[in-house]
Amino acid sequence: MAKLTLSGRTGRGSFVAGAIGGVVAAVVLALAGMSMPASAGALSDGDQQCLGCHGSPGIEKHLEDGETLSLHIPGNTFAQSVHGAIGCTGCHTDINLASHPPAKNTIDTKRKFSTAMVQVCRNCHSEQFGQWEQSVHAALVKEGNSVAPLCTSCHSPHAVIKGAAEDMDTVPCKTCHGDIFTAYAASVHGVLRSGGLTAAPLCFNCHGAHDVSVASAGVGRRDVCLGCHTEALASHSTWLPNAQLHFNAVSCPVCHTPQAQRVVVLTLYNSATQKEVPGPAGIPEFESLNGSPTATRTGLDPATLMTLLKTLNSKDVEGKTIIRGRLEVRTGLEDHELTVASKAISDCNVCHREGAAAFQSVEISVAGPSGMPIRYGASKEVLSSAFSIDSIGGFYAIGGTRITFLDVLFVLALLGGIALPLGHLTLRWAFKRYLSRNPRQKRKR
Amino acid sequence: MIRIYVHPLPVRIWHWVNAAACVMLVLTGIQIRYVGLVNVVSFRTAVVAHNWIGVVLIANFFVWFFFYLFSDKIRVYHPELNAVKQFHAAVRQLIYYGYGIFKGDPNPHHVSAYRKFNPLQSMTYQIIMLLVLPIQFITGILLWNLTRFAGIVAFFGGVRVVDTVHVLIFISFVFYILVHAYLGTLGRTPLDYFKAMFTGYEDIEEG
Repeated sequence: MAKLTLSGRTGRGSFVAGAIGGVVAAVVLALAGMSMPASAGALSDGDQQCLGCHGSPGIEKHLEDGETLSLHIPGNTFAQSVHGAIGCTGCHTDINLASHPPAKNTIDTKRKFSTAMVQVCRNCHSEQFGQWEQSVHAALVKEGNSVAPLCTSCHSPHAVIKGAAEDMDTVPCKTCHGDIFTAYAASVHGVLRSGGLTAAPLCFNCHGAHDVSVASAGVGRRDVCLGCHTEALASHSTWLPNAQLHFNAVSCPVCHTPQAQRVVVLTLYNSATQKEVPGPAGIPEFESLNGSPTATRTGLDPATLMTLLKTLNSKDVEGKTIIRGRLEVRTGLEDHELTVASKAISDCNVCHREGAAAFQSVEISVAGPSGMPIRYGASKEVLSSAFSIDSIGGFYAIGGTRITFLDVLFVLALLGGIALPLGHLTLRWAFKRYLSRNPRQKRKR
Repeated sequence: MIRIYVHPLPVRIWHWVNAAACVMLVLTGIQIRYVGLVNVVSFRTAVVAHNWIGVVLIANFFVWFFFYLFSDKIRVYHPELNAVKQFHAAVRQLIYYGYGIFKGDPNPHHVSAYRKFNPLQSMTYQIIMLLVLPIQFITGILLWNLTRFAGIVAFFGGVRVVDTVHVLIFISFVFYILVHAYLGTLGRTPLDYFKAMFTGYEDIEEG
């Protein structure tokens, strides 16, 4: 059974604290007749009653799993939050003030309680909730991920302030994605944003606010970038041959994060559904690769990849499995380290040459259950093997991924084109010399 | 020795433009494909030049095509309509180049105004002009703007398939250009055929 105690410890307000706090505060105030803190004067009498207990630092509850949950709600902060207007019972409708305390809820874990309280948010924020349900965050929650964010993970319910997510100092994303935020803050976008340019993107501009998606999926990132950089295609077309093709096959950070490591991502698509194929089950060569978001660099060789596609396409499914290739940066961190255009890679030779760094890492991508792609390592030879002419027909970078077999043919043709005339010429000369020295042979003919 | 007019002006213009364009396309193609190994001009310059020279080559193709289509000179490609006879003549020509020429045998082919090509030339040139070059034009145009022609490229199996065909033809052209230039020296004198392609006249022995 969970136990409610008061101690000297202070904790961060949360939905969990609020839920319990509401109950506890009402009962404690009713019984003890304590007055509310003067700082929470904007709140209703009922809320002030709650804060009579829950406004005291140190109030906490021991949960079933042994964790301790702080029930302290700073009165001023709550009063100034957007939720101050609806008061404690606006959300904690399950608390019966007549019996609280001593009646109290049993809470197994903070996570379980927060997950249950998400439905309370839905009552008022149904649109945002619907968007969240489509997000990668919700997909991870459904998958059972115990740290995937719920509403209260980003929006502290007792302290939520309008516009907090639009400020670099208070944007909630950095709580979990701290390293990425640090990279972003040092990028051209972060520097401009912190310099006061509100047109410069913050997290939600590219990833969505509640319908958070992986911007790097497919051509998603390109579309995100072009959302603001509407003239990018036109400006690139002035100097970049096949600019549209580059936009389709090369993600923006590949050139605009010059120091990044690059990787060729070969995505298995279904030609009928135009969606990423889920991880192909039942193919031993594929399953043994242990796909993970951080794929190893070895893996599928060209012949196995060809066999894999043949196997997938021999099954009785609608559409054909095809491979679409795309050059991306290796990590999400590097995706956010964008630099100014003048420092971006504009030298074609960086990629269009044998041994280019861009083509040393190859990964095969399939759809994971949460929508997050699962990647399998592949050997870099899949890009230059004759076996890949058909299997990865959709990705090719002149010079950088040229097929080795054709190079051999070229050398043979060049040598043959030189050797044949030289040999013929030599034979003509030799015969002429021989016949001139042996006139009888000449006469015989 | 008599002089006969075998190469009309449009054909000579077409031939040398074609030759120059093909050589330039091979060279820029090598630069494009082998950046790092070959660094004469930048990749981008090579690509832009390759594209424009390709346009010239395609336009020039139609000079050849329409000249022969709308003149009686088209007969030079089909002096012999009997395929069996043509085949036997081609074999004789091959034996000459592979053996007879060493012994000093006379060339089995006798040039005239409407028989300027030997059977091997006639066959080879038709394959090149009516099959190989058009395929190279098509693959080149597709590679020139892969986004615009994405549907067609996908129909053919993707950019890698299209590029492989383009490169295979490029490789065969490298071989062909070298051998073609050598065969051009097998006239009465090493420069006879080259001179004829400039003047239009070829000197042939009487009888």
